Amino acid sequence: MSDASSALPHAPAFDGRIRARTRSIVDFLKIAFESWSGAFGISILALIVVVAAFSPWITPYDPIANHFNAAGQLKRLEPPSAAHWLGTTYYGLDVLSQLIDGSRIVLIVGITCASFIAIIGTNVGLIAGYCGGRVDAVLMRITGLAFGIPFIPFAVVLVALLGPSLWNMILTISLLMWRTTARVIRSQVLSLRERAFVKAAKIAGASDVRIIYVHIFPNVLPMTLLYVAFDIAWAVLAEASISFLGFGDPNQVSWGQMLYLAYVSGSIRQAWWWTIPPGLGLSLFVISVFLVGRQYEKLASPRLR
Amino acid sequence: MGFLSYAGRRAVHTAVTLVLLLVFMFVLFRLIPGDPTTLLLGTGELTPEAQQRLRAQWGLDQSMLEQFITYGRNLLSGELGLSFYYRRPVTEVIAPMLVNTLMLMLPVVVLAIGLGIAIGTWLGWRRGERVEELGAVLVLVPRALPVFWTGIVFLSLFAYKLQWFPIGGIRETFFYPESWYQFIPYYDVLRHLVLPVATGVLASMADPLMIMRTSLIEVRDEEFMVLARARGLSTRSLQRLARRSAFLPVLTYSAIMVGFAFGGQVLLEVVFTWPGMGRLMVNSVTQRDYPVAQAAFFLMAAVVIVLNFAVDLVYGWLDPRIRYE
Repeated sequence: MSDASSALPHAPAFDGRIRARTRSIVDFLKIAFESWSGAFGISILALIVVVAAFSPWITPYDPIANHFNAAGQLKRLEPPSAAHWLGTTYYGLDVLSQLIDGSRIVLIVGITCASFIAIIGTNVGLIAGYCGGRVDAVLMRITGLAFGIPFIPFAVVLVALLGPSLWNMILTISLLMWRTTARVIRSQVLSLRERAFVKAAKIAGASDVRIIYVHIFPNVLPMTLLYVAFDIAWAVLAEASISFLGFGDPNQVSWGQMLYLAYVSGSIRQAWWWTIPPGLGLSLFVISVFLVGRQYEKLASPRLR
Repeated sequence: MGFLSYAGRRAVHTAVTLVLLLVFMFVLFRLIPGDPTTLLLGTGELTPEAQQRLRAQWGLDQSMLEQFITYGRNLLSGELGLSFYYRRPVTEVIAPMLVNTLMLMLPVVVLAIGLGIAIGTWLGWRRGERVEELGAVLVLVPRALPVFWTGIVFLSLFAYKLQWFPIGGIRETFFYPESWYQFIPYYDVLRHLVLPVATGVLASMADPLMIMRTSLIEVRDEEFMVLARARGLSTRSLQRLARRSAFLPVLTYSAIMVGFAFGGQVLLEVVFTWPGMGRLMVNSVTQRDYPVAQAAFFLMAAVVIVLNFAVDLVYGWLDPRIRYE
């Protein structure tokens, strides 16, 4: 897993260009449809959102119910059939129901983590960039530390200490992943704070807090949103990775956990119907986020177009 | 600003980051309920007096600051303590695992950067052509695949179904060469390396590739490139020239990449049951063997921080402009 920062040049004109193009939400969404890849991405994302939203009503079976055949034996590793479209797991669970149920975790993790990351990263970036001096030095050292800590080992240690639960995973992911956003926002603020409108606000007697959040923040918002979009993808992959290592929430069905159980039960040898769907779901989700994000990224740097 | 003062400032930054790491770990590993005396021997097995003696011996009765200084000194000097689980010094447990991890990681990083630069140059050079448009989308695919899932798919396909490669581990317990090619030195280990390396390269290739592509597109229109083109250099020489100038951002990224490789390594090692540090770390956390987990964690983070420093130095050396930022 990696941060999306490196491929993104920082364009001060980004804000203006986005704003000129987006007089309404509809205009904003239209940007995603400007290429076939963006349209593909947004369709997949819409599909996953719909499935997750209606998951309790569209799962064919209870996702954590064991299924037995007529003879009363557990339906272990049955290949896809009319009764179980995606077969059953080693534990006799319906794969399709698990897949549908697991999509909720993708959305919960993606949205919550991205919000936390945006809040921490944007604030650190705004304050460091605006205050400069000692505050900047301290905040940037902490950001440097966050970049130095390898994510998966950190997550493993922290979740093991705090106990495996969905919220601890979300906390762990957010605690480290704000680093990219912080760096990018800071560099934006560094150039913004020299602009005339900031000086004007200062002369007019606006407080630092007011300048940061009323004058500067709206200008970095588009950049924040772009990074948050990519962070949704990384957060979902991170959750899946932690779950795959067996440190996930044992009470929630997630795609990473499905792969973990398939792996530890030694079923990957034959049960492709169990291993392919969750992995494909994760990949499709992440790639859709990339494809949609790419459309907006093109606005940020026209040279990439 | 001279190179030395730049290097000095970077060194201070790195030292501060390392101290912050120690503070962070000191706090993190003290979040574990109970102190090491209760953890090591289980509750009720030690008399209060013996526990008191141990606490004094380990310095747990000292002030937090004194404890922290001892802690930092021990970690930095390689005094990593005893593994609860293996009942051996942590250094002895970790050293062979570190070697195994490097054996897997080096080829992954080298191949990923090499392939990334090659494909990135190729794509960047074909800017605006249809093939580039398609390629730019296609390179996002391996980046989006969860590395453990790619591993599972490779295993079920190439190890279980086709049986071309072993299903995991680093070597067979008993390996007898049967055909001539099996006498190649380290043939057995190399055979075990193929799938994990392929999986790792696929996962980590995309980032250097995309950076190289972006960087090359920017370099392509620079004045020195226009001049070189006007002088009638062959496409091959032009590409070499562009590649050399476009390479710097990839270099910076390579330090970050080694960090990610350490993280992703954990997943890779678990899927392919590779006896490396990542797998050791996951196992030691599960077994509550905190000295080992702590040492492995420290080693991984320290390597990333020090590598970042090294890359900063190289970068400052190659591109003097960076020293003034």
